[in-house]
Amino acid sequence: MSGRFRSELLKQRSTPTTLGLLAGMVGLVLLAVVLHGFGLPTEDLGSRDTQLMVFGRGEFLGALFAGLLGAISVTAEFRHGTIRPTFLVTPRRGRVIAAKLQASTLLGAGLGFAASAMAAGVGTAVLHARGIELQLDGGDYALLVAGGTAAPALWAAIGVGLGAIVRDQVPTLIGVSAWLLFVEGLFGGNLGDVGRFAPGTLGMAASGQEPDTLLAPALSLLLLTLYAAASAVAGALAMARRDVA
Amino acid sequence: MSRESEARHLDGGRGAPLTSASAAHDPVVTVSSLTKRYGELAAVDGLTFALGRGTVTGFLGPNGAGKTTTLRLLLGLARPTSGEALIFGRPYGELEHPVRRVGAVLESNDLHPGRSGRDHIRALALADEIPLRRVDEVLALVGLDVASRRRVKTYSLGMRQRLGLAAALLGDPDLLVLDEPANGLDPAGMHWLRVFLRGYADRGGTVLISSHVLAEIAKTVDQVMIIDRGHLVASTRLDELAGRSQTLEDAYLELTSGGIS
Repeated sequence: MSGRFRSELLKQRSTPTTLGLLAGMVGLVLLAVVLHGFGLPTEDLGSRDTQLMVFGRGEFLGALFAGLLGAISVTAEFRHGTIRPTFLVTPRRGRVIAAKLQASTLLGAGLGFAASAMAAGVGTAVLHARGIELQLDGGDYALLVAGGTAAPALWAAIGVGLGAIVRDQVPTLIGVSAWLLFVEGLFGGNLGDVGRFAPGTLGMAASGQEPDTLLAPALSLLLLTLYAAASAVAGALAMARRDVA
Repeated sequence: MSRESEARHLDGGRGAPLTSASAAHDPVVTVSSLTKRYGELAAVDGLTFALGRGTVTGFLGPNGAGKTTTLRLLLGLARPTSGEALIFGRPYGELEHPVRRVGAVLESNDLHPGRSGRDHIRALALADEIPLRRVDEVLALVGLDVASRRRVKTYSLGMRQRLGLAAALLGDPDLLVLDEPANGLDPAGMHWLRVFLRGYADRGGTVLISSHVLAEIAKTVDQVMIIDRGHLVASTRLDELAGRSQTLEDAYLELTSGGIS
């Protein structure tokens, strides 16, 4: 484990931000699953696709918060100026980005695992409470949690890259949130085939959502990995070239 | 290397570069024709100087003269438009373990308010694999051992300056670059810093200290460089000013535009 990686992990856990993100995510996962679980009519919740959708809120919120965590790992350093001491210790800036990618994908995977496991657990309990028959098998659960861990880890890397490109904290966080919450949600359905290739939708596909419409989980993860790699490389290049004012 | 031999070469006068013979043999900092343009504006314009071992140099100039830009170019945070700034003969970014050669306290007070002072220093130490016992050493050295477990947002400005200095000293460097270190230090803190820097230089350390607080500089440094609008307008030893019955303030006001900083 490199010193830079440990340094980035310490930076993440030594401010209240990471715990705040975890708390916010846990709260929203609970809210989303409970609202859907008790709000939807019995005949809807009885279908496999709807159950996958409700349980899959874990992956979605995990991806959102992991993306924010990755972005903040860069933008908070610019916001508070700590990027200067960071670069004084490690002037080869690509190494800083590499360490941030490692730390953020690890923590992003943790957020994703927590969110997707909790959504599946709470969702199952709600269905049980309402006496609705469970349509999912062990394979579905495994995919919900595995995809729900892997996709947020990749979204954390996307966040690191975006943060390195944009640098400003508020626009970056608004951008990540708006993309996942509104842009893909509002327009994804209208774009037909193209919408399936959007990064948020790929994350949902990775956890087994809408198996008849979306891409296969393995292919989705591969494409999402390409997004993450493109974002990380672009972020590292942007970071290498520009002055730190 | 004697102080006298340096003095001969540092008398350059207006606009002349510091080209000390000792600095040429044993250069700690070598800046040549350093220029940084932001569009039409040249923040630093053809700056040339060299600093030898064991010297404490004041880097003076009005606000906006280019002091901070020069230091950032020197530390590899920004890229020069032309010219070069070398530390121990290399650009900062090509030094192996740069924080073990150079310590810097930047004016901008770069701390996360939600992180404890100790964690700030620990994160820097981890990144260069500096032993964690050194963290406690430098915190004790600057008098922050107790307060270091509190979050930075509870610190006074003087405490933040001390924390910045602890970070700079972490790698036990040979060169200290301090941008406006007097900001926020109380008289006792300033006295402590002065004594510390003197001892550091006497042990062979080199210090470059930017400031616009002339009274502070006059008590701390043994030579000054004055820059104005990106140009070096003077470099001289303080004892030579005294020889010409000039105070540092007289020289500064004469050389910098308008005389008001």
